[in-house]
Amino acid sequence: MPTIEIDDKVIEVKAGSTIIEAADSMGIPIPRFCYHKKLSVAANCRMCLVQVEKMGKPLPACATPVTDGMKVFTRSQFAVKAQKSVMEFLLINHPLDCPICDQGGECELQDIAVGYGASGSRYTEEKRVVLNKNIGPLISTDMTRCIQCTRCVRFLKEVGGMMELGMVGRGEHAEITAYVDKSVDSELSGNIIDLCPVGALTSKPFRYSARTWELIRRHSIAPHDGLGSPIEMHVKGNTVMRVLPREDEAINECWISDRDRYSYEALNSADRLTTPMIKDNGVWVETDWQSALEFAATRLNDIARNNPQDIGVLVSPNSTMEEAYLAKKLAQGLGCGNVDHRLRQSDFRLDSKHIGTVWMGCNISDVQSMERVLVIGSNLRNEHPLLTHRLRKAVKAGAELSLLNPIDDDPLMPVAHKTICAPDAMVNALAQILKAMSVMPRYAGHLSPAVSNLIDKVKVQSGPQSSAQAIAESLSGSSASVDLVAPRAAVLLGNIAVHHPRYAEIYSLGEAIAELCGASFGVLSEAANSVGADFAQVLPNADAMNARTMLESPRKGYLLVNVEPELDCHNAHLAAKAMAEAECVVALTVFKSEALRDADVLLPIAPFSETSGTFMNMEGRVQTFSAAVKPLGECRPAWKVLRVLGNVLNIPGFDFDSSEQVSREIFGGEDPSQLASNRLNNHLYDSGVRDAARVNDETPNILQRIGEISLYQADALVRRAAPLQKTKYAVPLAAYMHHAQLAQLGFQAGGAVTVSQGNGSVSLMAQIDDHVPIGCIRIAAALKETAALGDMFGPLEIKAVEIKAA
Amino acid sequence: MLSAESIAKIDRELAKYPANQRRSAVMSSLAIVQDEHGWLSKESISDVAAYLGIPDIAVLEVASFYNMYELKPTGKYKLTVCTNISCMLRDAHGIVEHLEHRLGIHCGETTADGKFTLKEGECMGACGSAPLLLVNNKDMREFLTNEKVDEMLEGLK
Amino acid sequence: MFNRIKDVLRSLMLVELLKGMMLTGRYLFARKITVQYPEERTPQSGRFRGLHALRLYPNGEERCIACKLCEAVCPALAITIESEQRDDGTRRTTRYDIDLTKCIFCGFCEESCPVDSIVETRVLDYHGEKRGDLLYTKPMLLEMGRKYETQIATDRTADAKFR
Repeated sequence: MPTIEIDDKVIEVKAGSTIIEAADSMGIPIPRFCYHKKLSVAANCRMCLVQVEKMGKPLPACATPVTDGMKVFTRSQFAVKAQKSVMEFLLINHPLDCPICDQGGECELQDIAVGYGASGSRYTEEKRVVLNKNIGPLISTDMTRCIQCTRCVRFLKEVGGMMELGMVGRGEHAEITAYVDKSVDSELSGNIIDLCPVGALTSKPFRYSARTWELIRRHSIAPHDGLGSPIEMHVKGNTVMRVLPREDEAINECWISDRDRYSYEALNSADRLTTPMIKDNGVWVETDWQSALEFAATRLNDIARNNPQDIGVLVSPNSTMEEAYLAKKLAQGLGCGNVDHRLRQSDFRLDSKHIGTVWMGCNISDVQSMERVLVIGSNLRNEHPLLTHRLRKAVKAGAELSLLNPIDDDPLMPVAHKTICAPDAMVNALAQILKAMSVMPRYAGHLSPAVSNLIDKVKVQSGPQSSAQAIAESLSGSSASVDLVAPRAAVLLGNIAVHHPRYAEIYSLGEAIAELCGASFGVLSEAANSVGADFAQVLPNADAMNARTMLESPRKGYLLVNVEPELDCHNAHLAAKAMAEAECVVALTVFKSEALRDADVLLPIAPFSETSGTFMNMEGRVQTFSAAVKPLGECRPAWKVLRVLGNVLNIPGFDFDSSEQVSREIFGGEDPSQLASNRLNNHLYDSGVRDAARVNDETPNILQRIGEISLYQADALVRRAAPLQKTKYAVPLAAYMHHAQLAQLGFQAGGAVTVSQGNGSVSLMAQIDDHVPIGCIRIAAALKETAALGDMFGPLEIKAVEIKAA
Repeated sequence: MLSAESIAKIDRELAKYPANQRRSAVMSSLAIVQDEHGWLSKESISDVAAYLGIPDIAVLEVASFYNMYELKPTGKYKLTVCTNISCMLRDAHGIVEHLEHRLGIHCGETTADGKFTLKEGECMGACGSAPLLLVNNKDMREFLTNEKVDEMLEGLK
Repeated sequence: MFNRIKDVLRSLMLVELLKGMMLTGRYLFARKITVQYPEERTPQSGRFRGLHALRLYPNGEERCIACKLCEAVCPALAITIESEQRDDGTRRTTRYDIDLTKCIFCGFCEESCPVDSIVETRVLDYHGEKRGDLLYTKPMLLEMGRKYETQIATDRTADAKFR
C-alpha cells in the first residue's frame, strides 16, 4: 500500500485510489464539481487542482492516482492560485441570479465561490445564454447556470442505465441536452437534481416554493417498495415541502427513486380525508371521532356476536408493523381469524407451509456482488426501481442475469438469457430449468424422488424459443472460477410471480432450483412492510380466510386498514362486489376514495409522514421512524385509531400509550434485528405443492391477461402524486398485444375493443406492444378504469367494438 | 433509413473493431452517411444510433463536436479554408477574401444556387503546404493562390 | 464662619431664584424651537428608517422576487414570505407580511434586498386601532410603495454613491 503525504499528514492508501479519495478519507477538503464518489471520473471541471511535489503543473486530484511517497499540497499558494483561476473561468458565464435560484443556499458553486471566488469579475463581455430544455414534469432546467460538470449525463448513463442526456457542441457552445425533443424518463431521474452542483437542474414541483434554510429536516423511511430507502422530509410549517435521500450504503447508497422522491405531493392533495364520516342513508355525513368510533364498534360487534367469522380484516402491506399488528389483535379480540395483508396475492396454497417469514434471502448490498442471478416474474424497473440499479451494478461487474417473465420490458442492462412466455407457461418453464439443471453431472441424483418423478415428464425444449438449458447452465456456473462452497448466485421472485395464480408452484420450483445450485432464494417484497406484516403474523389463522377467499365468499363486515379494495386487491371486480354486498365496511383511510364508495364509516388516518411506526424491509431490516409533521385536520395515526377501537370494543390488552409500546409487544421486548434473523426463512415444511405441480400441460388456447401494476399506481399515495402521473411512465391505458396477435384477432391498432373477464367488461383501445408474448394481452391493473375486470392474471375475452354506420 | 450501400460500408468499418465495441465505428459511420446525404439530419443520426446500438444522444454528441460533420444542409461543394497560424502567415485570409468576393458570400454561408458553402476551418495538419483548403472534407487543395482558387472554382462548376 | 454668613445672605436675597428666573426670562425672548407636531415636522435624513414599502418598477411590475433574504436576515423574525411560480414563470411572493409589532426597524431587510424592493420609507407615524392592524400584508406594502415612490427614488438616488 502506497504511503502519501497530503498537507503534511501521512496516510497509507489503497493502491490505485486517487488523491481526492485519500483526501476525503482524511477529511481534507478539496473543492470539486464534477467528481462524485459514485460516478466515473470525468475530470472536466478542473476545480480540484492540487500541487504535487516534483510536478510542474497542478494536477486534478480526482483523476490522479496515488503513488508511493507522493507529496500533495491542497492549500499551498500554487494550488490555491490554480483553484481560484478555475473558479474565475467557471464564473465567467454563470449568471448572477442566485436570488431567484432554487439552489441558492445549498449550491456547491455558491459555497466554493465564497472560498475561491474574487469579489468582482474581470469579464466585461456578454455572457452566454443557453435555452432551457423541457425534460419532463419532474425536473426543471435553467441551462444558462450549467457549468458542464456532466454529473447528470454520467448518472443517467451509469446508474440510470440509459443515456438520456448528453453534451452537444464544444467549447463555449457546449450544452447539456436530451436528444431533440425527448424528455428524461428514467425512474431514478430525480437524483440528478441532487447531483447538480449548481441550479441548472432543480425540482419542478418544489420550484420557487421554499428556501433550504427555512426547511426542517426530519428523518423517515420511504413507504413504497420493499427497499425502505431512508429519506429526509423537508418540512416548512406543517407541510412536507420535498423529500431527499439520506445516505445508507447498505440500502440506497445515496439515491432514491422518483416514486419515493415525489410521492409527498399526495400528502396535501385535495383527496385527503380530514374528518371522520358516516354514511347515513346513502349520504356521507361528517361527524366526530366519538360517534364514528362508536358507530364502527357497534356495527362490528353486532356482526361478531352473531358469528365472528363474518368479519374480514384487510390490511395494506404499506401499513406499519404497529398498524398491521393491532389490526390482527383487534380481529382476534373479536374472535375472527380472517386477517390478511397479501391483497394482490391469489394463490395461497403455501399458507402454513412456510418455516419462517419470507424475505429476499440475502442482503440488499449482496445483490451487486452476485455473479449469477435468475429473476422470475418481475418487471424490474417498475417494481423495484432502485434495487434494479444494484442488479445493474452486478451485471456491469460481469454477472449473468437471466429472466423468466411474461413481459419483455428492457431492464436497461444486458440480459444473458431470458424466457418470455405467457403467465400460464411459467411453471413449465421453471420445471424445464430444473430438469436441465438436474441432469448436470454435478447435481445428478440430488433430487428427491418426488421431484425426479415430476420433472421426468418435462421435456426441455432447445432452440431459440426456450433458454431453459442456457439459464440452467448460467445459474450453475461453468467456469473454473465458480465458488462451489458459497456460490454468489441468487434466484429472486418479483411481484408478478407473487401475484401469479400459480405462485405456490413457482415458489417451490424456484426454491428447488436455488437449492440445487446453492443459490440464495427469496422474494423481492412488493410493499414497504410486506415482510414486516408477515413477521407480525398478520395472516389468516389456520382455518380462516385469506385475502382472496374473504372476497370470494363475501363477509358481512370488513375492516379495511389503508386499503382501496378495487385498486389494491388481486381481483378488482370481486373486491368491489364484496364491498357492495357487505353490511358494514369500516375503512381506516388516508384519502377519500371512489373505491370506498360502499364503505359505511371512514376513519381518517395519518399517512407515513404524520405517524410514527416501523417498517421491515425486504432484507428484514427493522427501521423505525417518527412523524415528520402533525396529522392534518382530524386525522389520527392508525395505531391510535385501532387502539381506541379496541378500547371501545372492550378488548383487553389495548392500552398502548405510544407506537413504541406496540412494537415492543410485537418483538416481545427482544432485539428486533436478532429476532428477525432468527425468524426469516424461505424454506417450506413440505414440498407437496411442488411434487404435485402441473407441468408440461398443454397451454390452453385462451387469451390471458397480464395485469401488471404500473410504477406510479402501486399504492394510494403515488396514485395521487400529480407530478408522477404526468410522467411518461403513466402509460396510456390500452389493451397491449403483440402485433401478430393483433393481426390474428383482426384488430386495428388504435381501434376500440371490449375486454371482458367474468361478468365485467371494459372498453379499451387495442395497441401494439411487441414485449407481450403471443396469447397474452397486457392490461394494467390497479386503475379505476379497469376495476370492472377480474383477476390480474387470467383468461379474458376480447372483441372489437362494432362501429355502426351512421 | 440507411441505404443498403451505407450499411455495407458501415459493416466494413465495424469489422475493424471488436464485436462488443460497435460504438467505435460512430465517426466513420457518420462520415459515410454524410457522404451519402451531404449532411446529417436528426433522422440519419437516429438511424446511425439504432444501427450501432447506442443512444441517439451519444451520436449527436460526436456529430456536434467535430467540425467536419454538418448538421445543416450545405452546398454541393463545401470549401473549408484553414485559417490557423501557418496558413494565416501564408495569407489564408487573402484566400478567404478572394473566395468571398468570387462567390459573393461570407464564411458560413451558401451560395444562392446551392453550389458552394464556404467555411473557415482549423488546422488540417498539412502546414507544409499552406495555405490550403478542403473540398467536401476529402479533397485537399494546397499552396493556394488567387489564380489557383479561380482555376479550382472553374473545375468545380 | 464667613461662608455661612454668605450663604444666609444669599438665601435671604433669593439669588438662586433670580438666577433661575433670568434663564426663564432669556428664553422668553429667544427663538422658539418647539415643533408643532403634527402640523410641523423636524427635518429627516434621507436614510430615515420608517414604515416599510415594497417598491414597483415604473411599468407597474413588483420588484420583489421572493428570494427571502430579508426574511432570513430579519433579527426580529418580523417578516413572513410564501412564494411560488407565477403563471408567467417568474418567481413571486404569494404572501409578504411584516409584523410591525415585532419589527425593530434595523434596516437589514433593505440592506439585504438584491432588487431594492423592500425599503423603509420616511413615514414614522402610523397606528393601528385593533389587533392585527399592524400586520402589514403584501397589498398594503405595495400600496405604500406606489404612494411614496417619488420620495423613495429621490432618497435612494441621493444615497447611491455611499452604498
